[in-house]
Formats: sequence, structure tokens, C-alpha cells
Amino acid sequence: MRPWPRAVPPQKSTDELTELRRLLVRPEQEDLRALRARLDNKERRAHEVAEILPEAVTLTGRRSEELARALRPAVEDSVRASVEKRPQFLVDALHPIIGPIVRRSIAENFRALLQSLNQALERSFSWQGLKWRIEAWRTGRSFSEVVLLRSLVYRVEQIFLIHRETGASLLHVIADSVAAEDPAMVAAMQTAITDFVHDSFKGTKKDEALDEFRVGELNVWIERGPQAYLAAVVRGTPPRELRGCLEDAIERIHVLRGSDLLRFKGEAAPFESLGTEIEPCLRAQYQPKKAAASHARAWFALSLGAALLVAALIVGAASERRWDGFIRKLNAAPGIAVTQAKHHWLRRSFVSGLRDPAIADPFALAREAGLNPERLRFEWKNYLALDDPSVLRRFVRRFGKPPETTLTLADGMLTLLGKVPYEWLEHVRSEGRQVPGITSIHEQNVEVIFDPARVLERFREKFPPPPALRASYANGILNLSGTVPWEWIDQVRSGATGLPGIKRISEENLKIAYDPALVLRRFIDRFNLPDSVNANVNQNVLVLEGEAPHAWLTRVRRGAPSVPGISTVNEEKLIDLDQRTFQQSKAVIESAFVYFLLNKENFATEGFAALSRLPDEIRRCLSAASRLGLEVQIEVRGYADSVGEEKKNLDLSQRRSNAVKDFLVKCGFEPSLFRSMGMGAPPPPAAGEAQPEQADRRVAFKIVPKT
Amino acid sequence: MIQKKVCLLGTSGVGKTSLVARFVHSAFSDKYLTTVGVKIDKKLVPLDDTNVTLVIWDLAGDDDFQRLQTSYLRGTSGYLLVADGTRRITLDQALDLQSRVVEVLGNVPFILALNKADLTEQWEIDEARIQSLVAENFSIIKTSAKEGAGVEEAFAQLARRTMQPA
Repeated sequence: MRPWPRAVPPQKSTDELTELRRLLVRPEQEDLRALRARLDNKERRAHEVAEILPEAVTLTGRRSEELARALRPAVEDSVRASVEKRPQFLVDALHPIIGPIVRRSIAENFRALLQSLNQALERSFSWQGLKWRIEAWRTGRSFSEVVLLRSLVYRVEQIFLIHRETGASLLHVIADSVAAEDPAMVAAMQTAITDFVHDSFKGTKKDEALDEFRVGELNVWIERGPQAYLAAVVRGTPPRELRGCLEDAIERIHVLRGSDLLRFKGEAAPFESLGTEIEPCLRAQYQPKKAAASHARAWFALSLGAALLVAALIVGAASERRWDGFIRKLNAAPGIAVTQAKHHWLRRSFVSGLRDPAIADPFALAREAGLNPERLRFEWKNYLALDDPSVLRRFVRRFGKPPETTLTLADGMLTLLGKVPYEWLEHVRSEGRQVPGITSIHEQNVEVIFDPARVLERFREKFPPPPALRASYANGILNLSGTVPWEWIDQVRSGATGLPGIKRISEENLKIAYDPALVLRRFIDRFNLPDSVNANVNQNVLVLEGEAPHAWLTRVRRGAPSVPGISTVNEEKLIDLDQRTFQQSKAVIESAFVYFLLNKENFATEGFAALSRLPDEIRRCLSAASRLGLEVQIEVRGYADSVGEEKKNLDLSQRRSNAVKDFLVKCGFEPSLFRSMGMGAPPPPAAGEAQPEQADRRVAFKIVPKT
Repeated sequence: MIQKKVCLLGTSGVGKTSLVARFVHSAFSDKYLTTVGVKIDKKLVPLDDTNVTLVIWDLAGDDDFQRLQTSYLRGTSGYLLVADGTRRITLDQALDLQSRVVEVLGNVPFILALNKADLTEQWEIDEARIQSLVAENFSIIKTSAKEGAGVEEAFAQLARRTMQPA
């Protein structure tokens, strides 16, 4: 475009000037007019702008991002308004693009998933994978982190763009899943360290500085530009090509933002867009994958793993069923109430609740359910269960249950049925009601059975047996054999059947030994041995010597054989005192004669003297007879001489007998004691026997049993 | 976001590190101070219309300025000159240090912090000396790292001055 003509000031006349101006500047005026018309014509101007707009936008975009920055809000608002008002329009417009993009994205992701799965299989089922897992466990890192580090050749984890002069962080880019410190402070410290190294080694040239340093597994590569430098934090050993990448990046940064770097006053915003220059340097390289054989092995391992997984699921399901069954059983068991149960696979399963410790044994239930009690952890709070099953179980836990005994419990009454061992029953009788929940015990229908050994034990305890004794027990009978002292068996006989289970004693094969001294002692204790009697025992024979009253003798005769150890009584050397007295008195009385006067029933003098001595003798005789248990009569036999008439003589003999009887009755005897008998003439005396003259006129006596 | 590099200068024992510790929650270990000679911390300081991130370089104090790592001063937007109010000599050393820093950095904003204000009865720097420095256009703030007095104000004022055009 040509420059505008400078305006001419008015001189002579306006017309001339106008004409002159017209002549001089007419072309320009016309151009100006045409230009104004062109500018005023919006449609035309729009066409013209449309012609140059694409080129202008392209040029502006190349020079800077100002156009993009200026357009960004308007474009964003426009797109947002369009999405809100006509979403379908954008959907239709984007559909041809979105579809392939989505499909491609899915395919890429699926491929990445498969690759990831392959890698995971290789790493999980290989020896190396196992080592990495151990390392992860040992170092506390995640497995994926260990895998990444061990399969890594190098990886650029962070890149700092740092202002050289101030050490300020201008930009910080970071690889995925890398933890980073505050970039401002790291950049400053990085700068300080670099300066420190530079200053510490005075021999270095001005442009020489710290290019790299290593911290453990990390390398820090520094690439300098005039105003800024890049510090790349690299894990592993990077190739030299990375240095080239950093060099290119820092050069491009200085080309793009050199002036901003020069004018830097702390504002980092202008450098935010430089990420695209730096990010290509966030490179990584991993060790190449192994041959396909590892895939086959991995797939085999996967199959094996799947099979193991299925097996584990089956086993797990069975285990779960077992666990559920166990918990149900536990809850149903008397004396247990489960409040919480947790089934664990890798640690001990847990059950808590209430438990009556006297009744329930959860470990036993666990064993019954097929669970290992050592894999269980119980936490119980104790309580006293009073339902019938719990009470019965508590009773059984305390007393046990004989195999042939039936126990039932209802309303606190324990009923025993069947065969019940005696010892168990005794225990239950004494302590059964101490069991909480049992108020009475009903045992009327039980059959008590006895353990022979326990019966004999009780027998021996009660009656300590002599050495020669053999004892056995069966069916309520105590069988004794051997030789035992009478004193021992006597106690057994009186007391053994009082022992539980012994109904009777069998002594068929038992011999009883008697101690003579003890036998005699027992005899004396029983019969009060008179002083006039000596006694001893010899081979079960009681030998008596001396004199004894008839009554005692009679008692001995009757009772001595019943004394243990005395079978018979030898009394050959024992005199019956009463018998002797009786015989003596009898002899005296029967030898006495009461003589009478001739032909009279009057006593002769010597006859009366004899008669007067008779009452005492008769009394002694009657006393002895009484002690002997004899009832006697005394025949008073009257005689008369044969001179004269027989009838008279018989009558006289009767009267003489009556006279004696009367005399004796008057002496105090009962009349029935005497039987007066008129005998007539006495029998002639034996040859050679001398008789006094009045011998036929007498009364004689005869003691006879009472009729 | 604007970052400004500021330095703490002063002879040893005047309480520079304590002032930083009072001002920020230190991230780096103090061992850097003894190893490299500098410890770096960061604190966001809100000003009237913007926020400034102060990157604080705590330089190891030394009585001999020649041993100061002068390269650490490069790019500094301002500095806190710290002296111990209970030791007059530290003020003299600080002033000497400041004049030498000017030789390296030119006229860069700074604040003179007279530290240990909690021990006023032991102070050796009298008010007349302070007023004479004020007369020389020194910005002086009495600080106490122990009690926190003046610390926030010193850094805020320094941040504000770094934002002012030169």
C-alpha cells in the first residue's frame, strides 16, 4: 500500500485548491473512496477475510499459541452450547469417528489385557516369579513393583526443567505410578548440589558442570541449556540415545521459550506447554520376553491353576457345608448358644457364645463334624443350662451312664430304668440331687447288678479273711472254701448277708477250725461252770469232771452240743449231785422200818424213833427228786406177823400203814404223797438173814414213780 | 504461581535455621546444611493479590564470608540478613556480609532480622544503633525464633519486596 498523501493547506481560493487537489490526488481519492466502499460492504469484506483467513490462522499458529489461546474459550463455549442444545447433532457427526475409535480402543485394551495376563502367568508360575514374590514379601514392596524393577532395563521416571539462574522448577513431568517429591524443592536442591559440586572442584571450566550422578538404582542425567537445564531421573541403566533425546528437548525449549527464560521472574506458567517437548524423553525399556515355550508352560500352569482353583472351590464348598453343619449342630447341642461364628481359611476360625462347661464339649462336636479342633478358636462365656437335655447331660457328665441303664428326665425327676450297677446307684443316691436341675430320683424299677470283684472287695474289707480262705461270688451267693476259724465264720454268717449283693453264704467246701480254749470259754460263758466241776475240750468233746447239780447238768447236756466246737459231752467222771442225794435218801427211806407192838397198830419204841427221823429224809428225797424232775410217791407198806387169822393180819397191816401215813401227814406232807398199803404177812427172809423178833410187825417204805 | 528464591544469611549461631523451622515445616533433613552448606525449604506466602512460593535457601553461616558458597546466591530475589541481638558482633558481621552480597547480587531486597528478641535483657544492640540503621534505609524486624514473634512478618515483608519492581 502506498503512503497517505500529506494534506495541502488552503491558499488562494477554495475552488482552485479543490481543482488542484482533484488533479493531484484524484486517483488516491478514488482509491480511498473505493476502499471505503469496500470496507463498508460487509458481505464483500467477509468474502475477502474468508479468502485469507485459513492462511492467516496457519501463520499465526506457527508463530505462537496466542491464537489458540484466544480462540479456546469461544470454541469451548460454543461446543458446550452445542452439546447442550443439539446433542444428537454432535453424536451424528462424531459417530463415524467414535465407532472405530471405540473398537480400536477395546481391541488395544484387550490385547494389552492378554499381554498382561501372559506376563502375569509367566511371572506367577515361574521360578523367577516366585523369587520376585519372596523379594516383594521381604522388602515390603508390591509384587508388581518388584516385577517392574527386575524386568526393567531402564525407565525415565521424572524430568525436571529447571531455571539455571534461580534453580526454580519450571516444569516437571513424571512417569505413571512414580511417587515424587515437591518439584520446587527438588529443583532447588538439585541446583544447590550442582553448584556445590561445580564450586568444590575449582579446576573445572566454566561450562563444565555435573552431568550426571547416581543415587542407588537411580541415575540423574543433567542436560544443560543456556538458561535452563533438564534433570532426568532414570531408574536402571539408560542408553546413550537418551542423552540425545534430552539434548534435542532442551534445544527446542530454548528455541521456543528462550526469551521467556531470559525474562524469568518466577512465573512458571509460560512453560507449562513444554510438556510435549519433554514427554518423549520419558522412555522405558524392559527385558525382551522369552520364547513361546514359556507361554506354553504358562498356559499349562494356568490350566493347572484353574484345575486347582476348581478343586479348591469344591473343597471350599464342602468345607463351608461342614462349617455350617457344625455351627447348626453346635447351636442345637445342649448347653451351647452360639452368638458369633466366623469361618476363616488361612487362620483359625472363630466361634463365640455361651457354654455350660459341665455339659458341652465343642471340640468333640468339631471332631464329629470333621473339623480340626486346632483350627478353631472358641471364646465362651459360662452359663448354667437348665433345660432337660442339658441337665441330663450334666448328670451323665458327672456320674456317667451304665450301658444297660436308661435315664430319663422330666420336670426335675430323674428316672432310672434297666440294669443299674450297685456302686453307680449308691453314688447317684448320695449326690444325684446335687446336680442343678434334678430334684428327685425315681429308681423303683431298676435291677441292681453287682460287680463280683467289688462285692468280694467289700466282703474282704468288712471281714478280713484268714489266709486259708478262698472266696468267690456269683449270683448273689458268696462261696467260701478252705479252713477258717469258727470265730471268723460266725461273724461272716451274721454279717455278710448284710453286705450289698450277698444274699446267702455257701459253706459246702468250708472247714471250720475250733480253738479249744475259745470253745471252753464260750461254754463257760454260756453255762457258768460250777466250782465243783472241771471242764476241758478235746477234739470237739467236752469232758466234764467233778460234781454238778442235776439241773446244770441237764442244761449242759441239752445245750453244750449247740456250743460251736462241742459235738458231744463226756460226763463219765461227772457226778449228778441231785441224783446221788435222791438215791441216798431213797436208800435210807427204803431201809427204814417202823416197828409196832404185837397185834397192835401202836408204834414200838424203836419204831417211833425210826419214824421220827423219816420226815427230814423224805424232804431231802423229795427235794432231790424235784431237782431231778421226778414225781414220786412213797408206798407205806404195813406188815403183820403171820400169827393169827390172815384177814386180821391184813387189816392190821393196813392200819399200821395208815398210822405211819397219818403220822407223816401230820408232819406236813401232802397225803397224796403216800400210798398206804396193808401187805399182810411179810415174805420170809432170805436164807441166812437174821431178823429181829418184831420184824414182821413193821411198816416199810418204797419210793416209786407217781402214778 | 510465582516462585521466588530467597536466602537466609548471617554468621553462625544467630538462629537462621531456627527461623526457617519456625516459619515452615521442614521437609529436608538438617544434614544437608552441614553436608552441602544449604538447606532448602518452601512456604506459600499469600500476598494481597497473589500467592508467592518462597523457596528458602538456608545458607550455612560462617564468620568468614570468603567461605560462603556464593554460587548459592545466584538468582536470589531477596534475602533475610540475620543477626543475634544478644551479640553485637553478629550485627557487624551481618552488615559486612550484606555489603559483600551487594557486590555479588547488586541491590537485591533484604530484611535485617534481629533475632532472639525474647532475650531483650541480654541485648547488646541498643536502640540508637537500630535507629541509625533505619536511617540508612535498612528494613529491620526484631524476631524470636523461640516464641515466633516477628517471623511471619519478616518473611511476608521479604516476599512483598521481592514482588516489587527493581
